[in-house]
Amino acid sequence: MNIVVLAKQVPDPEALVEISAGGKKLEIEQKFATNLFDEFAIEEALRIREKHAGKVKVITLGGGKATEVIRTGIAMGADEALLLEDEAFLDGDGYATALALSRAAAKEPFDIILCGRQAIDHDRGEVGQMVAQFLGLPHVGNVVKLDIADGKAVAESAIEGGKEIVEVQLPAVFTAQKGLNEPRVPQIMGVMKAMKVQIPKATLGDLGLSPEEAGLKGSKVRIEKYLSPKKRPPMQLITGEPMQAAAEAIRILIDVERVI
Amino acid sequence: MNFALTDEQEFFKKMVTDTVDRLVVPKAREIDEKDEFPRELWREFSKLGYLGLRYPEEIGGMNADPVTAMIFYEQIARGSVGFAQSVIMNILMGTYFVFRFGSETMKERCLYPAMRGEKIGTMCFTEDQSGSDLSATRTTAKKDGNEWVINGTKMWITNGPIADMATVLATTDPSLGNNGLNFFLVEKGTPGFAPGQVLDKLGCRGTVTGELVFDNVRVPEENLLGAEVNKGIEYLGEILDEVRVMTAAMAMGIAQAAFDEGLEYARKRVAFGKTIGNYQLIRAKFADMATEMEASRLMIYNAAWRIKEKMNCRKEAAMTKMFATETCLKVVDEVTRIWGANGFAHEYNPQRHFRDARFLLSGGGTHEIIKDFLGRMIIGKPR
Repeated sequence: MNIVVLAKQVPDPEALVEISAGGKKLEIEQKFATNLFDEFAIEEALRIREKHAGKVKVITLGGGKATEVIRTGIAMGADEALLLEDEAFLDGDGYATALALSRAAAKEPFDIILCGRQAIDHDRGEVGQMVAQFLGLPHVGNVVKLDIADGKAVAESAIEGGKEIVEVQLPAVFTAQKGLNEPRVPQIMGVMKAMKVQIPKATLGDLGLSPEEAGLKGSKVRIEKYLSPKKRPPMQLITGEPMQAAAEAIRILIDVERVI
Repeated sequence: MNFALTDEQEFFKKMVTDTVDRLVVPKAREIDEKDEFPRELWREFSKLGYLGLRYPEEIGGMNADPVTAMIFYEQIARGSVGFAQSVIMNILMGTYFVFRFGSETMKERCLYPAMRGEKIGTMCFTEDQSGSDLSATRTTAKKDGNEWVINGTKMWITNGPIADMATVLATTDPSLGNNGLNFFLVEKGTPGFAPGQVLDKLGCRGTVTGELVFDNVRVPEENLLGAEVNKGIEYLGEILDEVRVMTAAMAMGIAQAAFDEGLEYARKRVAFGKTIGNYQLIRAKFADMATEMEASRLMIYNAAWRIKEKMNCRKEAAMTKMFATETCLKVVDEVTRIWGANGFAHEYNPQRHFRDARFLLSGGGTHEIIKDFLGRMIIGKPR
């Protein structure tokens, strides 16, 4: 069972993010973390390998600190890694990223591709589906349970108000949702291996992509402007008897805030 | 000169930080309140393999360099000092002499299980009348045929009441002072070896600390941990600097935990219509705390680097221990002030850090003794 995990390094949830250059750029404090949903994907891949043997390969796209997500994967127990490192990959949208990742995943035969349902930076939640599309594979999103047997997968997805159980033929792409598992705490042997690992790298050429197909040039979506969310007004406390306070709250929502 | 951590050390720091955040931080309060050795956490944590941090890979260790070890000590202390003390005792002082001088069978029986967390080790220096002044050690070891007979009482022994094995400092002749000292391995179950009083401490609760009694304890000749008799003080010198810098790293762990609490509070607590972090006097506190913590860490990493390079470090290690601990005491104090009356409430964490920090004053040598030592070293012998 060969499993590929697509993982991403994202700004730490506590990192300061500021909009600069008139809304064109984001200044992000240099604190990073592995995307939480991708950690679920790595953990699930390791559990599948533990049950069915095979290997787990972690692929990420990016420069600099992106290696940390790979090291985290290795520390947790992944067997192999691949870093897509090329300036031409930078500033791509989900489409360009998914194209590069799908090429990288397809460099070797695989049975399963796992990734997080979304990265917690842009929250677009599109790469997994697009990778499936580029590779012509079935895709199951928001997976909270995954059972593999006889070349098939039975996946449980969280849908609004309930769950959906889907059976798909492998190979297939699955995106991990919270609830799928509890990612393990790496053992020191894994951490040591991760500290020493030489990470194989792939460039644009290695994936058979032209500069027009990658990064900003290969993107379908351009970000025009970043805007800060509206500052919330301070909380208003309504005192008094519950019935009267509720009536006052309704009056404010109708007359003042005009939201109902 | 290069002051940066390597990519590997940065990654290690991140991994340890995450591990401590997930496993230790959520239990810290309970560990402090119960004041019992957290066996379940110990089992869970020791499975990860960190207890072999300093030892060679061939025997299942990580072979961490001293800088990497300091990163670990700081982080584990940030999580819970009560737990960190037990962990570090197994990693460093409680096993070092068995690793250094123990026979292979002794290592099989004591060291390797301790690296896996299956056995708990301790080191016994302190007595009711001696601590930093080791020359006043009263516990004796007398040779009788091919055995050593140990008699005495040790006090303030970290992990003492629950230890499976103890490295015991004893003198062959009290009149020889430092020149009569030796280390011996005494294992649980040896007749005459028993735990005594358990101490009720101000801080570092969760580490079981207490008395160990040695009443005609007979151990085989090979349990003398040393190549020669009466060279214990020399052997102690091999890890003294590391122990002191480790204490400094623990101080930074407590300081950081308190600092983070202070920061969170300063950002959310409102007074006179503004969060208190907007007031200059509160900002000044953070400026001072952060500066002194930065200085402490530079001293810690510098001293650790000197240890790694096998350079003399006696002075630097002593200075580092003292400076980082004093910084820690200042930080925990300032944080309780930032928290106002809430800093005095058991409901919140600042009071725990405030109590925990006090322990570091005596561990690794009191500052009165360290200052005297440093002053003597700097001024020189009387002329």
